[in-house]
Amino acid sequence: MYPVKLANRYLTSRVIPLIAVAAVALCVALVVIVVSVMSGFLDMLRASGRTLMGDVVISYPIRGIPWYEQLIDTIEKLPEAEAATPLIDTYGLVRMPYPEGAEKEVVTANVWGIVPSSFNRVTDFSNALYWKPPATVDAAAIMSPDDPRLALRENILNDGLNLIKSDTSEPGLVLGMHVSIANQRMQDGSYKPRNPQWFMPKQVVTLTLVPISAKGTIAEPRERVFPVVNEFKSGVYQIDKNRVMISLAEAQKLLRMDAGTLYDMQAPPNADGTLPVLGTSPAKVHKVLVRAKPGVTPDQLQTAVFAAYEKFAFDIAGDPSKVVMAPRVETVNILTWEQHLRDLIAPVEKEREMMRILFSIVYLVCAGLVLSIFWAIVQEKTRDVGILRSVGASRPGILWIFLQYGLVIGAIGGLFGVGLGWLVINKINWIHETIGQDAPAWSYTTSFLIAAASFIMCMRGAVTGVLLSTLLWLVLGITMILVGVGLLLHRGTLIWDPSVYYFATIPDQVDWFTAIITWFGAVIFSVLGASIPAAKAADIHPVRALRYE
Amino acid sequence: MSNPLLEAKNLHKTYTLGRVQVPVLRGASFTLAQGEWVAILGSSGSGKSTLLHLLGLLDECDADSGGVWFDGNPVAKLKFSARNAYRNQSVGFVFQFYHLLPELSVLENALLPNMVNAGMGWATKRGPAQAHATELLGAFGLSHRLTHKPAELSGGERQRVAIARALANQPRVLLADEPTGNLDTQTGTEILDLIAAKHRKGLSIAMVTHDPAVAARADRVVKLVDGRVAL
Ligand SMILES: Nc1ncnc2c1ncn2[C@@H]1O[C@H](COP(=O)(O)OP(=O)(O)O)[C@@H](O)[C@H]1O
Ligand SMILES: [Mg+2]
Repeated sequence: MYPVKLANRYLTSRVIPLIAVAAVALCVALVVIVVSVMSGFLDMLRASGRTLMGDVVISYPIRGIPWYEQLIDTIEKLPEAEAATPLIDTYGLVRMPYPEGAEKEVVTANVWGIVPSSFNRVTDFSNALYWKPPATVDAAAIMSPDDPRLALRENILNDGLNLIKSDTSEPGLVLGMHVSIANQRMQDGSYKPRNPQWFMPKQVVTLTLVPISAKGTIAEPRERVFPVVNEFKSGVYQIDKNRVMISLAEAQKLLRMDAGTLYDMQAPPNADGTLPVLGTSPAKVHKVLVRAKPGVTPDQLQTAVFAAYEKFAFDIAGDPSKVVMAPRVETVNILTWEQHLRDLIAPVEKEREMMRILFSIVYLVCAGLVLSIFWAIVQEKTRDVGILRSVGASRPGILWIFLQYGLVIGAIGGLFGVGLGWLVINKINWIHETIGQDAPAWSYTTSFLIAAASFIMCMRGAVTGVLLSTLLWLVLGITMILVGVGLLLHRGTLIWDPSVYYFATIPDQVDWFTAIITWFGAVIFSVLGASIPAAKAADIHPVRALRYE
Repeated sequence: MSNPLLEAKNLHKTYTLGRVQVPVLRGASFTLAQGEWVAILGSSGSGKSTLLHLLGLLDECDADSGGVWFDGNPVAKLKFSARNAYRNQSVGFVFQFYHLLPELSVLENALLPNMVNAGMGWATKRGPAQAHATELLGAFGLSHRLTHKPAELSGGERQRVAIARALANQPRVLLADEPTGNLDTQTGTEILDLIAAKHRKGLSIAMVTHDPAVAARADRVVKLVDGRVAL
């Protein structure tokens, strides 16, 4: 029992163990915060895949997939597939309504032509649409009074979902939330136009697309004015910054990928001057997005879609009424979302691997700290060890005192660390926003006041001649002056730049699995760190310890 | 006379200081009979503490020299655990500088040998041990000091706690290394009175001192000169 009692007394009667606990806590908190953000980031990437692209993407860029309705029919008959939707995926120019005057700003954009009804079944499009009136009274109550959404009516959501301006029945366009620089992100994550006049759903934009011929050459660009009917926010900054959506039919028309009559160019003209008709040239799309049934993995769906595409190509080849063939399965890309966005996910996975390697270094720091602190404690307790040995304590008994000491420091420090990590992760976006602003006046005023008080205490210490307290107050005073100056000079900087990290907010969920592993790691490494001084203590020769005077 | 309780024969002990060999004990022999109080008198640095440490198994004598016998048994043959048990139960040590654990209270210091002995079974052995220690400390006039820390006690009070600790497991031998060396004459005499009282009840004592007046309290005095015990 005495090892427990002594370890307990050694822990509670001095400051050094507190420093050890704080050191372990900081190490653990560091690991928990970094891994949680990284894991959250990966999870967000993976989750956004499903909401943005479905699970499997069939793509045949530039020339497009013909007879895609038949392909979609074939796929939707698969037991693995929930829904499939055709997609035009191209680049174009968008002329924005701002600034004032004749010279308007033009931006490049990734233009998606979609069929809203099926697109919404494959992705999470309706939830991504930003402008809609608050769903409930409660939702309205928490919005700021000047939030533009409070003035909206239900039709704006339907317009966005149908890509049609309902009052004029014109085909409409949906912008990504960050395409327009007029949109300003508020503290609470909501958006407001910088100037009410530039509320995008009341504006029109001009979209220019560049058709590409079957030979791969560029044809005459085509443009069209679209009323903006809504804006969407996927959460992935790169997409919200670049993507605009129009209806599939409009996109096909602008790109000349719509259905047309196919003439025989080689044959001599008919009597009326027209060329003989060979058949129909079908409308084409660049991609078909497929969503898996619940419980079906993207990999299973990929295999099924691959087989479905082979059947589809075979059916087209065997159909005498169809002149244009489907591209062969080898030339078509059938990828899961993860494979499709490998470039985005792979570096993050690599970074997390890097972090894991860095963790082992953090653990070593932890063990080293515990080791050096325990070394000092054992040094100080040499005489106690001699006394214990002189009353018959065994060497394992002495070892156990100090190992226990390490165990408790690791366990408590780790617990505090996880708690601290949890606190920081929960408030990480708030912390980030706060750092992003200039320090408020009260913060540096307070530190200067504390500094002034410390200097007074320091003077008092000097007068009464207490050197240690004089010195401590002086150090505190100087530190607070430096903190105050730092705060005064601090200009808001945002570390989490959404254009680099894809997401507008920092992941704020604790990765509990990692937290628990890290806690165990802290305990194990604290005990390891304690074991060397503990063994040293057990090896102390009783007489040598007792002759210490 | 019957078998001596504690016996040392022909002990040699040499310290190595750098390259110099310093012989401290050169064939020291010593006997302590059951119920006897022997004072070992010697000048400072003559090797008194060294001899006492060897008797208490806190140190080893040179190889190829004699050994220590307790109750007729050679202690050199004892295993680690038996040596710990010997220090814990057969003998009790009192040092010149008290050597109490600063983080423990008076009562806890006095109970330390009991706690070490009990190991995991402390919960069941605590009651009687605590009763014995409280009684002992009470007899030493420390009833009102039980929860104090050693730093709050006077030198004489600390040495009383140290004696209570040495007697915790009711050992047969008390090994005292200048128990009054750090105390004034008045307090020293009080401490010696306590020891004498225990001696009257049958405790065997080997006490080291450089003070002939202190040595005079014993039944028998031996002198340690040139690393040997002279009668
Ligand atoms: N660990 C040691 N290393 C070297 N010399 C020592 C050591 N311990 C004791 N000595 C020396 O041995 C001699 C005897 O010491 P000690 O037994 O403490 O004498 P005493 O108790 O009679 O004063 C002294 O000269 C002392 O300096
Ligand atoms: Mg001595």
